[in-house]
Amino acid sequence: MGLGNLLRRVTVVAGFCLALLLAGPVQAQTDAKPIDPELIEKIRKANAECFACHTEGGLKAPPVAGMDMAKLADLLVDPAVYSHSYHGNMDCKQCHGQGYVPFPHAAGAAKQVSPCEECHAVKVFKVDQQFDKSVHAQNLKGKMSCASCHDPHVAQVAAKIGDPKAIVAQDNAMCLDCHNSDLRFAQFAPEKLSLKRKRPDIDTIHAWLPNTKLHWGAVRCIECHTPEAKTQSHEIVNKDKAQKNCVACHSTASSLKTRLYRHLATAEQQRYGFANSIILKTSYVVGATRHPVVDAAILALVGLTVAGLLGHGMVRLVLAWIRRRRSP
Amino acid sequence: MSERIYLLPLWLRLWHWSNAVLIITLAVTGFSLHFADPALPLVEFSLARRIHDLAGLSLAALYTFFVVANIVSGNWWQYVPKPPGVLARCWRQARFYGYGIFRGEAHPYPPTREANFNALQALVYWFIMYLVLPVVVVTGLVFMFPQFAPDQMFGFDGLLPVAMLHYLAGTVIVLFMCAHIYLGTTGVTVTSLFKMMVTGWHEH
Repeated sequence: MGLGNLLRRVTVVAGFCLALLLAGPVQAQTDAKPIDPELIEKIRKANAECFACHTEGGLKAPPVAGMDMAKLADLLVDPAVYSHSYHGNMDCKQCHGQGYVPFPHAAGAAKQVSPCEECHAVKVFKVDQQFDKSVHAQNLKGKMSCASCHDPHVAQVAAKIGDPKAIVAQDNAMCLDCHNSDLRFAQFAPEKLSLKRKRPDIDTIHAWLPNTKLHWGAVRCIECHTPEAKTQSHEIVNKDKAQKNCVACHSTASSLKTRLYRHLATAEQQRYGFANSIILKTSYVVGATRHPVVDAAILALVGLTVAGLLGHGMVRLVLAWIRRRRSP
Repeated sequence: MSERIYLLPLWLRLWHWSNAVLIITLAVTGFSLHFADPALPLVEFSLARRIHDLAGLSLAALYTFFVVANIVSGNWWQYVPKPPGVLARCWRQARFYGYGIFRGEAHPYPPTREANFNALQALVYWFIMYLVLPVVVVTGLVFMFPQFAPDQMFGFDGLLPVAMLHYLAGTVIVLFMCAHIYLGTTGVTVTSLFKMMVTGWHEH
């Protein structure tokens, strides 16, 4: 374990302990109580100062002269998207250093970003253990951070999104941003590419999956690329360990209800008597979204038909035998 | 020595047996897919899916052939129950299956070259081949290309009514198949009707 990694671990554990001590404030954070509108307005005004430069508009018409425009182009935020993200009500300076000074910023200011565990200590403590076992940790040691996937200016909390298809779109974009982009893939794993070896084409490697595109619009990559036993995990696994057992989702005990649809678990589960009716609202999943009463009626009908036919045959046989015995 | 008449041309027999193989394959794999259960796999899900898709497409092609061949050969006329007295003849046939057959009575309407089917047979075959099977084929095709299914229906995914129709119509076909196979044993001997479906010759 490198020194940096060790320090990070110590910070996480310390943060975790602190969080336990200050359970009250942490609870307040996760419960997402309504925030004072005056405070929000104050934050909006403070952020507007940052957005004056760090937006497309700021790039086109910079309010201050003498900026490195190429550098600025890499540091843009969309205020509309940001305001809907899970950090949307936070002051930019909350993460980007209270010591920030207006342009020109202090040297090295861009790197002075608060680590996620400063607020999300408990989560990071749990996630780190899962992430360490992931293919990302194994293959890209030290290259990935939370923000590599979860853009803090964009991402929304799944429970808040609600609509499973929107959750799928957001979460799969996190994976595809790298796995479907030569540029991003090369940034993280240049050693995996060469003149002869190109980034594996996402369509080709998933060609075995029926209705591939339909799956990608209806379920998240992590549905198969995390261990089946867990409802949610950052232990992303590669193709060798990925789930290929269709019935994990395609059965009445579908893992979808404890994974993608877990945010809707409090909603009704037996609408019109259908199993997994909460899934059925957005997707018909063969094997999972069945109606137990219809199934039982159909099985009984087929069973009775076969029994009736066999019974008819038996009576025919017996009567034919009796007739043969009686005939002279 | 029993009397024989040549009833069934080769194309019809080939269609019948190909259809039978496909229907049985589709029923078994369809059951495996719908009743998918990790503890009780009849046919493993992904294998069942591949077979069901392939057999389904083959059935769609075979059904098209059946319709065209029936039109071209004029065989479609056999499926039309000819009035007058269709219901009375159906009743007599049903009474035979429910009563007369146990007493060893002769078939009330043995097949002829002009009328291969009795009235009940013609009605049921028409219902299955021209009403139920097209529903199975069309809903199966929509199932295979779900982008053609409606987005939402009754507050559920639009594929639900398609899937339910496919399931129910498929069940009707399976029920028909069970009865059809059983009634195949009601010829002059238990195997004579099966032999007819192979050779084309009907034994009275």
